[in-house]
Amino acid sequence: MTVNNMADPRRPNKIFRYKPPNTETNPTLEDPTPDYMNLLGMIFSMCGLMLKLKWCAWIAVYCSFISFKSLKCNASGLLSISAVVMSYLQNPQPMSPPW
Amino acid sequence: MRHLVFLLPALLLLLALPDTRGRYNDDFDDGEDIAEFDDNDFAEFEDVSEDPAVDVEKEPPPRAAPSSTPIEDEEDEATVENEDGQDEFEDADAQDQDMYSKYDNEEFEGHEKTNPSFKDTLIYREVPAHLQNSWESYYMEILMVTGLLAYIMNYIIGKNKNSRLAQAWFNSHRELLESNFALVGDDGTSKEATSTGKLNQENEHIYNLWCSGRVCCEGMLIQLKFLKRQDLLNVLARMMRPVCDQVVVVSQKIVLLSLTLPFPQQVKVTLNDEDMDTFVFAVGSRKAMARLQKEMQDLSEFCGDKPKSGAKYGIPESLSILSEMGEVTDGVMDSKMVHYLTSHADKIESIHFSDQFSGPKVMQEEGQPLKLPETKKTLLFTFNVPGMGNTSPKDMDSLLPLMNMVIYSIDKLKKLRLNREGKQKADRNRARVEENFLKQTHAQRQEAAQTRREEKKRAEKERIMNEEDPDRQRRLEEAAQRREQKKLEKKQMKMKQIKVKAM
Repeated sequence: MTVNNMADPRRPNKIFRYKPPNTETNPTLEDPTPDYMNLLGMIFSMCGLMLKLKWCAWIAVYCSFISFKSLKCNASGLLSISAVVMSYLQNPQPMSPPW
Repeated sequence: MRHLVFLLPALLLLLALPDTRGRYNDDFDDGEDIAEFDDNDFAEFEDVSEDPAVDVEKEPPPRAAPSSTPIEDEEDEATVENEDGQDEFEDADAQDQDMYSKYDNEEFEGHEKTNPSFKDTLIYREVPAHLQNSWESYYMEILMVTGLLAYIMNYIIGKNKNSRLAQAWFNSHRELLESNFALVGDDGTSKEATSTGKLNQENEHIYNLWCSGRVCCEGMLIQLKFLKRQDLLNVLARMMRPVCDQVVVVSQKIVLLSLTLPFPQQVKVTLNDEDMDTFVFAVGSRKAMARLQKEMQDLSEFCGDKPKSGAKYGIPESLSILSEMGEVTDGVMDSKMVHYLTSHADKIESIHFSDQFSGPKVMQEEGQPLKLPETKKTLLFTFNVPGMGNTSPKDMDSLLPLMNMVIYSIDKLKKLRLNREGKQKADRNRARVEENFLKQTHAQRQEAAQTRREEKKRAEKERIMNEEDPDRQRRLEEAAQRREQKKLEKKQMKMKQIKVKAM
């Protein structure tokens, strides 16, 4: 008599579908860094455009790069790039460090 | 004839001067020639052309060096020299004639006496950056672009590494999972419940795998939480503070397995109702236990005591235990489990079995009527991947025994039953927790009810005020008054009854 000691534990009739966890009920699970970076990027790009500060625009580009990968949100990325481009169009001098 | 006699030496002189100048042209820059022959800006230069020629002639050696400087410098230098030349002219006016004769004859031979004051006053002014036309002045921009490129490179490299590690993990665990679960890999989007057979990439550093279709288990979610290798800032931060990748296994309702993999690998297993008795238990590294006891809702409520050292149960000192009651610990810690824990203690971050699992403590906002959080029978495993961040795909094989432990725990917990005393204690604990919860929220619920009542009254009053018909208004007011009186009477009756009962 062949006794299958290692009974197959699989149960095809007991399959449950995957339900992505609801992030609204667990806000702590989300990483807030990309959101902050997005916001910072927006602020810096506005500063760079209004005050014509080149280093602001560059920092905005960096911030939007960091958040771009996580959020796939292009708005702040495009805004920061336009801030850099506008700064250089208005004033083609090389950037002086802010210190 | 006389005129001719006078004219001849003059002519000769005139001819000689260009010659002398011409001879020195080889030594001078072309710029000098241009300067001399320009008629607008350098007109003054031409007037005193003899003197600057003389003075400049004096220093062909020093001039050889400045001749190599850019043309823009020359402009400044020219002005400097002009001034200096003019100074010299004032001084040297008297000596013009002598100088001329000297230069005519000697042609600078041996005459290398440089005018020291001339040289000292020769200041090389730096051209402002915005006038320079060189790439060097844009060094900040070049730095920025280089930084961006470095970030992009790191992103690509980090993403690829995480992807390779995930694939290596899956390859080494695929066989075990496929032999235990009917459904391996599901992203929840497809219509049919078929195994995708691959990991579900949530983002660049988190991979999920959902397995289902097994006895004692509703489903098992394995989460590979890699380090954020794709983020350069994270990489730099990790250099200060080493962190591990983790694997988290969550099994719900069927077999709660919470294995914390060193590499934050989370495995979560959900258990069926009949498949697990009511208890709460956790074992893991001391740090993790201390943290979980504070963070986790069920551990803080049911396991009030401090984590006990694992040495009492035969597992390494580095592990500590949180348990609802001693019987549970004895039941869980059988020889095989002890063996697993001992041999892989360094990879185990935390193991959490609970029938009252509801996740971490949620901060309730003010004014919200509180309900008991929904609980599920869960097993949570968090494992640390060895390598402390510098993991290679080969390290994934070392996690396989841990997954075996997960499966073993799932099956074991189904059979684990508390005795009568234990069961009673567990039930009492749960009742106590519920009561506490209700008490805490009692005040809040009362407030909520009070506000609701006030809102109703206000709405009614508004309705009465808005009634245009005075008759109807009066009638509504009277009705409201009567209702209030009735309520007061009811309350008084209640108080009387309570007093009578008390007596």
